[in-house]
This record gives sequence, structure tokens and C-alpha cells, in this order.
Amino acid sequence: MKKVMMGNEAAALAAKLARVQVVSAYPITPQTVIVENLSEIIGRGELKAKYIPVESEHSAMASCIGASMAGARAFTATSSQGLAYMHEMLHYAAGARVPVVMVNCNRALAPPWNLYCDHSDSLAQRDTGCIQYYCADAQDVLDSILIAYGVAEKALLPVMINMDGFYLTHTSEVLDVPDQKTVDIFLPPYQPSSKLDVDDPKTFGNVCGADLFTSIQYKRHCDTLSLEMLWEQMAVKFCGHFNRLHSPVEAYQTEDADVCIIGIGTAAGAMRLAVDRLREEGLKAGSLRLAMMRPFPLKGFKKAIVNAEHVIVIDRDISFGAEGIVAQEVKAGLFDHHGNMKLTGFIAGVGGNDISVETIVPLVRQAISGKGAAVEAGTTLWADVLP
Amino acid sequence: MEPKKAVESLSELPTMPSTIGTMVWNQTGDWRYLTPLVANKLAPCSQNCPAGIPIPSYLNAVKNGHIESGLTLLLAHNPLPGLTGRLCYHPCQAKCVRRKIDRAISVQKIERFLADLSTEVKIEKSEKTDKQVAVIGSGPLGLCCAFYLGCRGYRVVVLDPRNQAGGALVGLSPEKIDPQVLANEIRRLIRLADIKLETGAVINVDTTRELMSKADLIILDPTGLSEDFSAPVAAVAFNPFEDKTVTGDIIEAKLPKNLKPFKVPMIAHYIAAGRLMAQKAFDYLVMRSRQQNCAQLNPDLSRQAVNIEDIKIERFLASDLAAEAEAKQEGTWDRMRCLQEAERCLSCGTCNLCLQCVSFCPDASILLDEDTTAVTVDLDHCKGCGICAYECPRGVITMEEISP
Repeated sequence: MKKVMMGNEAAALAAKLARVQVVSAYPITPQTVIVENLSEIIGRGELKAKYIPVESEHSAMASCIGASMAGARAFTATSSQGLAYMHEMLHYAAGARVPVVMVNCNRALAPPWNLYCDHSDSLAQRDTGCIQYYCADAQDVLDSILIAYGVAEKALLPVMINMDGFYLTHTSEVLDVPDQKTVDIFLPPYQPSSKLDVDDPKTFGNVCGADLFTSIQYKRHCDTLSLEMLWEQMAVKFCGHFNRLHSPVEAYQTEDADVCIIGIGTAAGAMRLAVDRLREEGLKAGSLRLAMMRPFPLKGFKKAIVNAEHVIVIDRDISFGAEGIVAQEVKAGLFDHHGNMKLTGFIAGVGGNDISVETIVPLVRQAISGKGAAVEAGTTLWADVLP
Repeated sequence: MEPKKAVESLSELPTMPSTIGTMVWNQTGDWRYLTPLVANKLAPCSQNCPAGIPIPSYLNAVKNGHIESGLTLLLAHNPLPGLTGRLCYHPCQAKCVRRKIDRAISVQKIERFLADLSTEVKIEKSEKTDKQVAVIGSGPLGLCCAFYLGCRGYRVVVLDPRNQAGGALVGLSPEKIDPQVLANEIRRLIRLADIKLETGAVINVDTTRELMSKADLIILDPTGLSEDFSAPVAAVAFNPFEDKTVTGDIIEAKLPKNLKPFKVPMIAHYIAAGRLMAQKAFDYLVMRSRQQNCAQLNPDLSRQAVNIEDIKIERFLASDLAAEAEAKQEGTWDRMRCLQEAERCLSCGTCNLCLQCVSFCPDASILLDEDTTAVTVDLDHCKGCGICAYECPRGVITMEEISP
């Protein structure tokens, strides 16, 4: 069934379709619509779930962790400052191995206050152990939440689905809404292998000496690494039911590309248009959207990047004093593979600036010619900076 | 105890970091600095009761429908509840913590209801000895003293020169006390303690001497004797509230000024005086016969008083606070009304197995005894966090520094 929806509505609908049993969240722009929609859905009795209103994002994730440990399918959503406040609990969720799925609506961190799209909030949570997925459009939001539960519950790891603030959260798109019956077949109820149970008491999250700690962390790392493959499998299964594929890496015209533009989130659309434009001009360009950031989808990435001579990374974030975080990730991914490959990292679109074809094409030209409006700072080039 | 299990390979590690096997081996009690002490304490009402009656204990029994054990408990501390239930100025109610919520428990009404029950109860008594005690004067002091000594196994005879037992209570107007109630109360006291009562007894130098030859101790009760009664010359004045030990075989209870002459509403003070007298007479008789057993007559009275700050109104669960029953009811209350009233008792200082401590203990270290009459602390695992003491609304659990 086709429906016009905003990304936030799609996220709430996905939680409903996934038949989540516990929702605990604290409202924050631009995520609020998700929370409002879900409270209404639960209030109307359309979803048999407990809605736990909390005083903070820290508690929101804590309740989801508790619910998940009790064997419930749990969901939360937040953004920016809220995500930062949730930070400690993200580590906990991943360490406790609970399959909580959450949505983060990417927004800049204050000060100065800015409510608009920026990836600094979620990329700052890169090392918490949560799986990170960045959506390209509202359909991707809806679908990836369903896939995420399948993956999370299999790997026993929390998943963070990221969607660009306002570009996705508040923009209406035409969506293909899966029917509940098929979703139920794709995503059966969560069957925890271990949970809080008064008849089988265990201590969870207990103290552990150095002897076991290393092995536990090693095991978690291995399980996290295997997630690229697991997501791929789950995405293929999803595609079998719904005919849409959401891979960890989305490549466009990369097979013969000399220049490859890499980015995350909604900029992928503009990147594809830029590729078309550049190809019309005679430049063999391609684009690559890293849908998954954790685990870093090394396999898909290496396959897509194989022929490129020049990689251009557009970061909607900055690791102050270093460079764009995605650029760092890409560099790390290329380390044993780069040969004579050149990499240029741009910072663009931070705090809600548009990344359009008109942004990207000049950046690519500047990367090749060395001339353009973006200003240099360290190893990065910044677009849209005041003269 | 199950031993600690060791993980030897990666595949044995649970995906979710959790224990395998049990954690019983981990005796976290070692970490404890303060120890929760579960001990019933004297409630504010009992502290203020001249006779120190453990009111929450018998109200608890009543609340649970064990009316007869409620009466037994009451009788063990006050053998004349029908009189106190009518005459006492009930200072217990003045200190009732429930007043902070709505109004005090009508302790006196329940006491009266229990006293007026026609059921014949029994109370625990020591085995009969061949020791004899004579109590001269059958006022409330003498009767109570006789009662406790009777319960201790002594052969007790109460002698009264008048024709009717009850001492100063006999002449009261029927509006104050129905003569039938007085007679019933005395009859029950006599029966329970298995003592002898002789009214119209002749008390003079000869009979006293004769008594002396038979009795090991003679006690004179001023609340049962007319003011012109002259005590035998050998009698030693003894104030049960002050004097430490009995020093003669004939003692005359000497009451403090505020209890002289007999004041009807202060009847509980005379009951207390009788019990103290009995306790001291008992110690004297035991000492003389070189027995070792010097146990307290009423162990409840040795309880520590509960701190009023330890009764935490805000910790009571709403479901624990029974609503106030309706309108006052004069005279004797009926059973239903008494049950409702007893239900309202907060049971200050007295464990009533609300089990709030059990639900709140993060280490599942508070256990209900097998016979489910009390809670105990599993000291092998209790870390001494103190949550139980914080949560106990009635001040039964306190955190104490106890050396191992």
C-alpha cells in the first residue's frame, strides 16, 4: 500500500509493524513526532505495548535495556543532546547484549544551538558498540527498522538507525507500507535465549575480572564484525518478502569509476545526481553510500572501491583537530589497499546546510584541480565558510 | 553450597554477560559494615501504657481473625481488661502514630470487646510448686500480684476481710462499673491463675501468725484494704515502683503519692504495681529457694522502645493503611467493628510480616521463616546496604554495628 509519510511517521509505523512491546522515550526536536505517534498508537490500543514515559534519555535507554532483558522487544528514539545524554546506556546496552533498536534523528550538538542535520551526534557514539545504520530516505527508515530487529535479535546487539534531521524526519515522501501479515512472517516474536527469570535466577552485568573480560570483549568484537554479513543476509530475506534491498553499502556507478564520492545519509541522493552530471561532463564518477558505519562494512566497501583512483569523502561532521569522521573511517578501510589512490575530505552540510548537486560538483572539481571555494584546514576542505 | 563454576573455553562464555550456575558461593556478607537487626520494639502506645501492654501484638492477632489469641495475649499483660477497657484514661491513644494520618486507634474499645467475650481461654502457666503466698486485700493491685504469682506456679490465696472482692472498686456506681462486670473479671482472673479467693476473712494478729506459719510470703494490698486497716507490726513497707528487693516475709505495698487515695481512671497503674510486686516477690522467693530461674514475667516489657522517628508514615503502602471505619459506636463494639479498627493499627515497632523488606532487598537476603512468623536476614549474603531498614515503615529493622 502506498502512503505519503514523513520519516518520523515511518519510524513510528515501523515500530508498530515490528510489534514492539515496550517503548520508552523522551521527546526532542526533531524526533518528537516519533514519540507522539507511538504514544497515540499505543493509547488507541493499536499496539499492545507498554509506553514508559521517562525523565531523560538515559532512563529511556535504561528502561529499554531492562525490558529487553525481561524478554520484550523494546524501542526508543532520540536525537543530538538526548543521544549524548544516553551515551553511558549505549555502552551498557551493547555490553549487556540486548537487542534494543533505536532511532536517532541526526542533529547538531550545542552550543551554539542548532536543531538541524549534522552527524556529529551519532558518530560520537561510534565506539559504544551499538550497530549504526544511516538511512537514505524514509522508505529506508521504515524497512531498516524491521531488518534491524531481525539482526539485533540474532546477534544480541543493539542497533541505532540514524535518519537526517528534517531532511528525513520532517519531509513527506511516498512510501510502500508493508502489510502486517508479511511483516509477522519476516519478523517473528523475539525469543530470548537468556532473560531475567525468577525461576532461573542469574546475575546480569556482574563484576568480571581481567581473566574473562578480554575474552568477553573479543567475543563481542567477533560478533559485531559478523554483523555486516548478517545484515546482508537479513536484507536479502527482506527483499524476498518486500522486493527492496537495503545493503550495508550502496554503490552507484562505481564499477568503472575513477573518482568515487563517499558519504552517509540523505546526501546519497545528491551524490548520485552529481555522478550523472559529472559523467555527462566526461568524468568517470561513481558514488558510495556507507549505510552501515558500525561495524564498518569492509567487505562491501572494498568491493565497491576497487577501481577508483581518487576518493572524495563528504563529511557532515568534524572531529575537531583531525578531520571528518567518515573520512577517517574510509582511510582506515583503505589502508592495506590504497596503492596510488588519492583521498580528499570535505566538510559540508554541517548544522543543516544543504548538500545538493550544486554543492558536490564544485567540490569534486576542486578535489581534482586543487582550485575552488572550499577552504583548507589541516587535511580537510570546508565548504560554505564565510570569506 | 554449590561450588564456583569456572569457564574454560570461549564457547562456554554466555553471550549476555551473566552468571552461570548460582552465585551462592559468593558470600557477600563479608562486605557488610552495618548489620540489619530485626527486633520488635515497644510501640509508642505501649510506651505510654502504664501497664506496658504490647498493643500492636494483640491487635495484630485480632486483625488476622485470631480473636482468642488476641485475648490471651492481652490477659497475659493485663488480667483485668474489662475494667481498663471501661475505666482507664487510655494514654495509649494519645500517643497513637495513626493520629498523624486520621485519628488514633480506639484501643480501649477493642480491649473492652475482647474482655467481654464469653469464651474461656487458657494462658500458659508454670508447674505448681509447694510454695505458698498470701495476698491480703483483693483490690486491683493485690489481684494482679496474685495472678502473676499464680501463673508462676505458686499456691496463692487472696484474703479479703470484706464480703466482696474488688477492693476500692466495689463501691463504685453502676454507671461507672457494672457490678456484674467486676464479678466476671475477678472470676476469670481467679480461674486463669488457679488461685484461691477468701472473702470475709478474719485478719488479726492470730490469723496473721497462723498464716505466717503456712505462707512463704504475705503481701498486703492497700487498694483492697480499708484505710483503717492496721498492718501487722512485722510488715515492711515496699514501693513496687522504686524498691529493688523484697526484704521481709510480710510486705505492705506502699504506693507513691499520686496513686493515693485510689483513683479509678488510673487503674492501669495499680495493675502495673501489682505486676511489679509479683516480679519482685518472685525474685525474692526464687532467691530464697536458690533457684536459678529468674526470667522476666513479661519478656515483651524488656523490649527496647521504638524511636518515633523510625515510624515512617510515608513508607506505608496505601493498601496497608485501612480506611477509617464509620461513626462512633457507644458501649461495647461488635466483632466486625473491632476487626475494622484493629485493621487500622500501623503496628509500630512490631513486625506484622508486611514483607516490604523482602520485596526491596536487592540481594534477596531477607527470608521468611519456615513457620512464616518472622523474617530473618541471610547474613552470609547481606551486604548491609540498609534498604530494608529504610523501607521498614514500622522501625522493626535497624542498622547496627555488630562485631563478627
